[in-house]
Amino acid sequence: MIVELLSVPAVILILGAVVLPLIPERARNSAFILFPSIALFLVWTLPEGSLLQTSFASYELHLLSVDSLSRVFGIVFSLITIIGGIYAFHIKDLVQQTSALAYAGGALGVTFAGDFFTLFIFWELMAVTSAYLIWARKTKESDKAGMRYLLVHSFGGGLLLTGILLHLSNGGSMMVESIEPVYNLANIFMLLGVALNTAVPPLHAWLADAYPKATITGAIFMCALTTKSAVYVMIRLFPGWDILIWVGVIMAIYGTIYALLANDIREILAYSIISQIGYMVTAIGVGSEIALNGATAHAFNHIVYKSLLFMAAGAVIYATGTSKLHKLGGLGKKMPLLVGLYMVGALSISGAPLLNGFVSKTMISEALGEAHLEWPILLLLIATIGTFLHTGLKLPYYTWFGEKKTEFNLSAIPVNMKVAMGIGAFFCILFGVAPDLLYSQLPYPTEFQPFSVYTLVEMTQILILAFVGFWFFKDRLNTSPTISLDTDWFYRKPAAIVRKVFVDFPNNTFGIAEKGTLLLAERLAKLSKNPMKLLIPSFTMEGREIKSDGFSAGIGAALAFVLFSFLVIGLATLF
Amino acid sequence: MKNWHWIVLGILLIVSLILEFTYLADYASHWWNHVPAFYAIWGGLGCLALIFVTKGLGKIFILSDEDYYDR
Repeated sequence: MIVELLSVPAVILILGAVVLPLIPERARNSAFILFPSIALFLVWTLPEGSLLQTSFASYELHLLSVDSLSRVFGIVFSLITIIGGIYAFHIKDLVQQTSALAYAGGALGVTFAGDFFTLFIFWELMAVTSAYLIWARKTKESDKAGMRYLLVHSFGGGLLLTGILLHLSNGGSMMVESIEPVYNLANIFMLLGVALNTAVPPLHAWLADAYPKATITGAIFMCALTTKSAVYVMIRLFPGWDILIWVGVIMAIYGTIYALLANDIREILAYSIISQIGYMVTAIGVGSEIALNGATAHAFNHIVYKSLLFMAAGAVIYATGTSKLHKLGGLGKKMPLLVGLYMVGALSISGAPLLNGFVSKTMISEALGEAHLEWPILLLLIATIGTFLHTGLKLPYYTWFGEKKTEFNLSAIPVNMKVAMGIGAFFCILFGVAPDLLYSQLPYPTEFQPFSVYTLVEMTQILILAFVGFWFFKDRLNTSPTISLDTDWFYRKPAAIVRKVFVDFPNNTFGIAEKGTLLLAERLAKLSKNPMKLLIPSFTMEGREIKSDGFSAGIGAALAFVLFSFLVIGLATLF
Repeated sequence: MKNWHWIVLGILLIVSLILEFTYLADYASHWWNHVPAFYAIWGGLGCLALIFVTKGLGKIFILSDEDYYDR
């Protein structure tokens, strides 16, 4: 059993997290990369089927269910953990490293979980371990944001668990398999639990709240793992749920609007995750083979280019110490390589031809076309335009090209960070020019060809005109020192009142009660020191106060004698 | 933006329009394919709509001071 467990990719990473503290510090960063590499090899080579079962109480747990869908997600999760490991190669923070490994282990565990119980355990593991990647920033802001993140995810986990338990008590199967689109309580709870991790508005605010405040390296793992593992679960459980089509479209537009308004570079990228996941959710809602292929391919590509973008944004923060657009500007000449690598990611996410975003966006578009969903196609195109505007134009323009606002003493960016970004950019281009490499890994066989005159004409016209629009109206985009109010307002703003009612008020009440009790005890203690003073206030002897324990030795001896007599009589009657 | 940047963009746009009118004239999978240069129009209008709608929304209620939650 123990040996068999080592064939589970998630166990390898969690084992890595346990072993890492025992490894000498200078070998630790290499070891960090070794574990996801082993996991990647395993994911690649494992045969299909449910490979490992174990019984727990009266249930049979399936720890390792492999099929083409879980394999492609497993591959990209392991790959991005390796890239993240290279990006974080200069870091000497053990706890951050172990939590990142365990976090990736959680994501792989969810991916290969065959039953709900296994899935839920790994789901929660992800929430707990990722919270530390926010706290590791060690600012007052990140402390609070991490706590909010953890609380929201505990709530989400609770929703999912409630759904699972209701599902089981309704006689549902323990296995993770697609659920009929019936809106009963069990399904609604499960959908909400998954939707929270997929960052579906209004349950999305944790993402844009936490990711910009995470550590530079931690954000790479976060942007890749949590939401995309939830997308995977959504593909598994809810394919073809009609409601998801419009939920996805709303997500795509919603994320775009907030990303356009954001002033923090990583907040732009965080909101753009929500927008991109909108595409995937829409495709899951369509539910046809090509749509699910499109959702999977887009999740895969999204992980690659989004982590590249987060790495580049992290490098800017590393070099300048700020992430705010109102302070950045005019740095392009000093970091040309970084600009180039970022632009590969930015053009990928915008859907420019010959980069990886294009090959999956067109697939989703094709799926929507086949299902005759014309308005979702047009609205998702609006989101594409917006994506190009905020990630492809606003962020790079105001970071690197616009007027210089602050004089920075730039720190040199470590080589390993550049290497990691280079690998990310390589994959963006690779899957963009050779999409069949990706298509052959998708859950359903496909004949889809992304490069047609139609798609090329479509994207070229859209991107060029969006650029022209940006150029003439770029001053209208917000780059002032502001924050955006989002649905986290509902738990952040009333927090002060909630604190007053549920923490400060009981606290003060207890405080008053405590003071009163102590005062009373003090008085009683004083009193019992000499009760005679109260009982016979006028009684004094030879001008001295009478003390309660002021008996003479004679009385003591007499009392002892009386007691002794009782003892003797008692013993005598016994025998 | 230097002049040659604009020229490259212009050429790309013209090439895409030529391709559209020569290869795709009878492409009828969507209703909007009957509108010439539809994607260029959609791209331009979409861009303007996004810029001004977000600006409006930001002004009305979304954007706030950085210390909003600390007050």
